Amino acid sequence: MINTVSRLLAALLVTTFLAACTGGESNVEIGNREGILHFGNGSEPQGLDPHVVTGVPENKIVRSLFEGLAVKNPWTLEPEPGVAESWDISEDGRVYTFYLNPEAKWSNGEPVTAGDYVWSWNRALHPAMGNQYAYMLFPVVNAQAFASKQIEDFSQVGVKALDERTLQVTLNEATPYFLQLMDHYSTFAVHPETILKHGKMTDRYTKWTRVGNMVNNGPFNLKEWKLNRRIVVEKSDTYWDRDKVRLNGVVYYPTENIVSEERMFRVGQLHTTGTVPLDKIPVYQAMENTPYVQSPYLGTYYYLINTNREPLTDVRVRRALSLAIDRVKLNDTVLQKSNFPAYSITPPGTMGYQPPKLFDYDPELARSLLADAGYPDGEGWPEVELVYNTSEGHRKIAVALQQMWKDVLNIKITIANQEWKVYLDSVDTMNFDIARRGWIGDYVDPNNFLDLFITDGGNNNTGFANPRYDDLILNLAPQADTQEERFRLFYEAETLLMEQMPILPIYTYTNKKLKHPSVRDMPSNLMDSLNLKYVWLDADWDKGAEK
Amino acid sequence: MTTEIITDIAEAEQGSSLWHDAWLRLRKNRLALAGGIILVAFSIIALLTPWIAPYAYDAQNLDLGATPPSAQHWLGTDIFGRDLLTQIMYGGRVSLAVGLIATSVALLIGVTWGAVAGYVGGKVDAVMMRLVDIMYALPFMIFIVLLMVVFGRNILLLFLAIGAVEWLTMARIMRSQVQQLRQQEFVEAAISLGLPPGTIIRRHLIPNALGPIIVYTTLTIPSVMLLEAFLSFLGLGIQPPQTSWGLLISYGAETMEEFPWLLIFPGLALTITLFSLNFLGDGLRDALDVRRSKD
Repeated sequence: MINTVSRLLAALLVTTFLAACTGGESNVEIGNREGILHFGNGSEPQGLDPHVVTGVPENKIVRSLFEGLAVKNPWTLEPEPGVAESWDISEDGRVYTFYLNPEAKWSNGEPVTAGDYVWSWNRALHPAMGNQYAYMLFPVVNAQAFASKQIEDFSQVGVKALDERTLQVTLNEATPYFLQLMDHYSTFAVHPETILKHGKMTDRYTKWTRVGNMVNNGPFNLKEWKLNRRIVVEKSDTYWDRDKVRLNGVVYYPTENIVSEERMFRVGQLHTTGTVPLDKIPVYQAMENTPYVQSPYLGTYYYLINTNREPLTDVRVRRALSLAIDRVKLNDTVLQKSNFPAYSITPPGTMGYQPPKLFDYDPELARSLLADAGYPDGEGWPEVELVYNTSEGHRKIAVALQQMWKDVLNIKITIANQEWKVYLDSVDTMNFDIARRGWIGDYVDPNNFLDLFITDGGNNNTGFANPRYDDLILNLAPQADTQEERFRLFYEAETLLMEQMPILPIYTYTNKKLKHPSVRDMPSNLMDSLNLKYVWLDADWDKGAEK
Repeated sequence: MTTEIITDIAEAEQGSSLWHDAWLRLRKNRLALAGGIILVAFSIIALLTPWIAPYAYDAQNLDLGATPPSAQHWLGTDIFGRDLLTQIMYGGRVSLAVGLIATSVALLIGVTWGAVAGYVGGKVDAVMMRLVDIMYALPFMIFIVLLMVVFGRNILLLFLAIGAVEWLTMARIMRSQVQQLRQQEFVEAAISLGLPPGTIIRRHLIPNALGPIIVYTTLTIPSVMLLEAFLSFLGLGIQPPQTSWGLLISYGAETMEEFPWLLIFPGLALTITLFSLNFLGDGLRDALDVRRSKD
């Protein structure tokens, strides 16, 4: 009897094993042969309209569909020609003249014109558009005034089409990082006729981004969009530099659950992942020829504090919360030493700038601050909730911090997870007490982190408002004569910010991902800037190993 | 000799209650008895957890991290260095409570609804059962999510909400049983004796339908436990640091290669409970089968 059972079991095992071995090719194998990259992309995108979206997952897709005037080289991060084949910069650094490539075409075959850019920037800056990244264009003369309704007439904004192919941009003052901004999706051109066909210029979420409707100018075209399953793009045959594009297509997967993303990678369903589960890092690090890639990343992980809500209106409470966090311990244990503890918003060493470090883990001081604020030993502490977007990694940090706050301050903070779109909505409408947030640099400059917190800034989301801070960031720093002077002003502003503590910095990011060895020319860089134009798949990647 | 026989007959004629008979029969079923004892033991442990748990349920020891079972931590620790045994004990409180409360709610609504529909019949039956069909058609998730959004997160409400969507099948089973029983002579006799419908349902119909109901109840309990874990995972159920077996298992499954004990022990706790429930349910069904007892 037992013999029969065990024989049956053995037979069953063998058949499953055989079935697994001969169960057809994996995505990766088929993809390598056909030139299709399978890309783990974190979350289902909020949308694909360059003037609406804000997240990293959206960025990866939008940048394959659209192209800016100048594009960052993925190895050096230096700007190289995109839609503009060349450009001139005036001697005072205030006037940029872009010469558009005559071969730059929309996916319907029409040429991309300077007029399209003027129209698109009007759209991107229009107050009715509600574009959170409108400030990317604020270096342009009168752009901010137009976006904040101080002027109505867009022709006063410093962008002119001199002719079909020549675009002239006038800036308020020399802006060293302006060309970098041309690679940000909020400065991309969109096709005016297509947008107007599906709604008004400033309508959000119209049908123009759907498959079949979208007209775009990047190396790839939108082919399929299955909600919560995949987004497929295929190589464009109207793109000006199409001869350089080596992939035939990319399939983006919304992989909100990072554990299943890692499993998908392991069974050959994905070429690359967006991240790696923390518990798996030591395992991958120990591997020979590991697919694990870790590199510095221009980003900060932090919590937003809603300074309009009791008891967080009190700066002593905010500081107490921050001082009670043992960031070093968090990083060494829960985060598997995969990041760097952060004490300010700007990542240290951004273009050589060192942010202030005003505090450290200090439970004694945290307790006395909380007592001063009227909650000695947590007495009378009201209900405060921390929200994060659903993800294993965010949950672990929240659970660890929840306990640190309880141990040090004896206060209760409840934590709650929200689906990505709900979470974005909560943050935008400031419907939270404390909310998890990450900021990834859009260009390499401290300004990109510090101008988040200007009064009523689109990504401020904390209620923080300080006139001196605004003055430093918006007026004084841009007029600084030297980089040293500029950094000194940034330092003063950041000191102000961290004294008020509208955010709790947690750590500085590193970029962690899994990358299949067949993926070529997808270099790591400080901005995790991905240019799929260069990427190719080596179908013979394992031939060398076999010999 | 003679006297003995007489007492036997006397005892037999004195009769014994349904429950006493059932208990005698159940006692002979070893598996069912073992299941019952385990469930009672788990319930007692759950009740006493705040006093007997070896550690505080939210006490972290980040430096320790995830460790396999040891003398200090019998079932090991999770990545926050929290004692797994304590976690399972506290998780059991939530899981057993949700199983008990949600199933009771489902049982109460479902049995009443089905019995009334089946007994009254006609138009009332049609309307009541179409209502059930309509609720079947509604995705239950939307219903629960709506409840949670309107009333906010609250454990008790979560239990009730789960119960409120789990009664539908129960109502259908009960109705078909009652329809069948209503044709039988003893019910017709009760009707002709002038018993009010409520009494007939309570005294004659429900006891006769107990078998299938108990079996279905033992199936409902595990499904509500899993439902709770699912909702909590979506952020609609209980939130950390509170936990339940379902949540422990879902977290454990994510790290089962690195830290297998985080999956094995909560999984064992749930499995043992479900097996016990099934054995006990089977035993109870046999024990409470009134028709067989009259043989």
